Amino acid sequence: MTQSNGFHEHTLKNGLRIIVETMPHVRSAAAGFLVRTGARDETPELAGVSHFVEHMCFKGTAKRGWEQITRDFDDMGSTYNAYTSKERTVYFGWVRVEDLERQIELLADMMQSTMPTEEFDMEKNVILEEIAMSDDSLERKVYDLLHERLYPGHPLSWPVLGTTASITALSRDSLHGYFVDRYHPRNMVLIVTGAVEPKAVYDMAQRICGDWTPAEPRPARTTPTSALTGIHKGVVDRFQRQAVGVLYPAPSAADEDRDIGDLVASILGGRNSRFFWNIIQTGIAANVAAGRLDYCDAGLMLAFGFTEPDRADELLDAMRGQIKKLQDEGVTDDEVQRVRNRVATSLASEGEAPYYRFSQMIQEIDVFGVPRTVEERLAVLEKATPAVVREYLARWPLQGDGAVISLGPRDWPV
Amino acid sequence: MERSETYHHRRLDCGIEFAALEMPGRHTVALNVRVAAGMVDEHESKLGLGNIVEQTITKGTDSKSARDVSDAFDAIGAQFTGGVGRQSTVFRCSCLPEYLDRAGALIAEVLRTPTFPEDSFAVAVQLAQQELTAMEDDPQELASRLIARHAYGPRLGRHELGTKETLAAITRDDVVEYWKNHYGAARMQICVGGAIDVDAVAKAIDKQFQGFGNRSADAFENIPVEFSAGVRHQDKALEQEHILMCWPGVSATDPEHSVERVMLGILSGGMSSRLFTEVREKQGLVYWVGAWNEHPRGAGMMFAGASTTPARCDQTARTLLREIDRLAEDITHEELERSKIGITAKMQTHGDITRARVGELSGDIYHHGRPIGVEERKAEIEAVTIDDVRRYLATHPRDKLCVQTLGPRALEEFRA
Repeated sequence: MTQSNGFHEHTLKNGLRIIVETMPHVRSAAAGFLVRTGARDETPELAGVSHFVEHMCFKGTAKRGWEQITRDFDDMGSTYNAYTSKERTVYFGWVRVEDLERQIELLADMMQSTMPTEEFDMEKNVILEEIAMSDDSLERKVYDLLHERLYPGHPLSWPVLGTTASITALSRDSLHGYFVDRYHPRNMVLIVTGAVEPKAVYDMAQRICGDWTPAEPRPARTTPTSALTGIHKGVVDRFQRQAVGVLYPAPSAADEDRDIGDLVASILGGRNSRFFWNIIQTGIAANVAAGRLDYCDAGLMLAFGFTEPDRADELLDAMRGQIKKLQDEGVTDDEVQRVRNRVATSLASEGEAPYYRFSQMIQEIDVFGVPRTVEERLAVLEKATPAVVREYLARWPLQGDGAVISLGPRDWPV
Repeated sequence: MERSETYHHRRLDCGIEFAALEMPGRHTVALNVRVAAGMVDEHESKLGLGNIVEQTITKGTDSKSARDVSDAFDAIGAQFTGGVGRQSTVFRCSCLPEYLDRAGALIAEVLRTPTFPEDSFAVAVQLAQQELTAMEDDPQELASRLIARHAYGPRLGRHELGTKETLAAITRDDVVEYWKNHYGAARMQICVGGAIDVDAVAKAIDKQFQGFGNRSADAFENIPVEFSAGVRHQDKALEQEHILMCWPGVSATDPEHSVERVMLGILSGGMSSRLFTEVREKQGLVYWVGAWNEHPRGAGMMFAGASTTPARCDQTARTLLREIDRLAEDITHEELERSKIGITAKMQTHGDITRARVGELSGDIYHHGRPIGVEERKAEIEAVTIDDVRRYLATHPRDKLCVQTLGPRALEEFRA
């Protein structure tokens, strides 16, 4: 049993890691399983299987049918859900502190799902509806287009939901095979935050998960490369707006430059940012932002906006203009200080609710094995200065035309 | 560690109705300002005005430019947002406790001395026009806008963005006039929560807003709902058909409000609720399905909705309605208890979030004219029995229905 970074950590004999953050001032606790598999860990034939497995974990175990699973969550008044991304699958529940063990037991039981055959076809319909719903969203479609074009042929290019064709073709047996391969203690982490005693949590985990059998780690990932050049566009007539993005290199989730990358994105396209005053408040577009998309071994700096199709050129030029100015002239002390102040407040808000802390820790635990404390995260920003940002921009330059992404009713740029 | 929480409520000398929730040990404070200025206060030829006022009010004061205002909030790390509703505009602020006084002073400056610069006003109108276009790409929001007109009538059922035509008709003079008529201390409620010294906060706010605006009685009024039953469709090229239905419910102050809340939990609380179970899990018709209620002041409306591919929309709509109507027939004790625990447990878990607590307090002052408090609300929910739900359903039959679909095709043979 060790204590690191203010967090408490323990590993069961079967390899299941447990990470606990104690929050004595609250009356609730959040618990969840991080399963270290996602869309990029699929083969092309199985595109969408990670997300399908996530749905199926709610459909039945050796102890519970699907109705019992949902009733047991609701009998605790849990705030619960699950999600799948390119790199991971997460299941969680947020409950009154006295219900923590029941919550962990239920989530753990779902990790031992039987992937019931009789529910498979019905759930396939639900997922096909989810894909249809996603197809009506310009935001979702441009996210998928971006990955498809920037990482062609690489698993990061496959949509998390899969496609109508891949989901229709998926068999229950392939799904089950994938599940058995990835859902075992060496590929999972149990994370608990809230008004809890670490030792009590370890004991619960031992009682509930101690007999799980470990298997081989997930197959290694291949590092993607992206040229980050060229124009990548799609036309969908039924949308009224044009989504326009421009992409540059950025640090991955594992790179220590990541916090400075986020600082730059915030100054460029966050609240009270350069984009806000020079693009939104000049009426070019109502919705413009910048952010870092990151994976364990790849990162992108994305500036994007949504505008009337005939103003797409204007939006792209304006974003590039601001990006060039930032690259050439750097940032000011005031700009850095403003971000620092905002982050201090949002970290204090995050510290109020176990569910917020749980959500925030996931990526760091997945990528580094351990989360950072609020103090550590603030310390990085305390050291940030315009000179530090200049050094960052030398390593991760926002130079040239970048890769352009465009989706909407207009076949643009030509 | 349980430390006691205390509610306070008083009318300040400046005219503001003030409420506070003392929560020792909290690391953030939250402040909500509600102004009796909503969409209902717009002239019908200037729809969208309330939103333009809210968007432009932060764009300069007598002593600060638009950027200075934003920088001043950032200088103390305060998050400040606003939004116009049907009957009021609410501004929300969160910050660290040591900055509460400065945040309050800044909010007072923004609300009292806005300059509404001509260029910022023009941009706000342009952006609202763009948001109207954006709404065309958001079927859920568009369907909500369509049904609201029929659910609430032409006045209460307005949408914050207005229309392209009414936005074009708005002038800067309209903005100034709306602000003069509707913003003022006597038309405001301020709620604060966190580890605060209540008397000091009240005194500071009283001073900050002293002499602001004309005093007028009955600032927060009830507007009658004009419900219009019927089945309506709007064609739109989409992958999915969006279905919304609504029927009158009870107001937030009605004695049956808690009963309705428990009933709604049975219909759509968690994944074990009836809609999720019947529409999604048993028939696989949808990814999204749900039911909720809304409370304009003095009124209530129940909603249910789902989205599905066009071939399955009739079956989905029929199942939704069947489940709504079946409630009167066979509610079980287990469902009732599950719904109640769903509500009371979340009072505890979500109660850890300071700004959520202050949002709730703001709702209490607005609807009830007093803080309700967690214990009282919890007791009301716990007291609900099956007989209460049956009585509610008998005395509030779902005998009229408003249905709106949006998508590639209308419902066939649907009987409300």
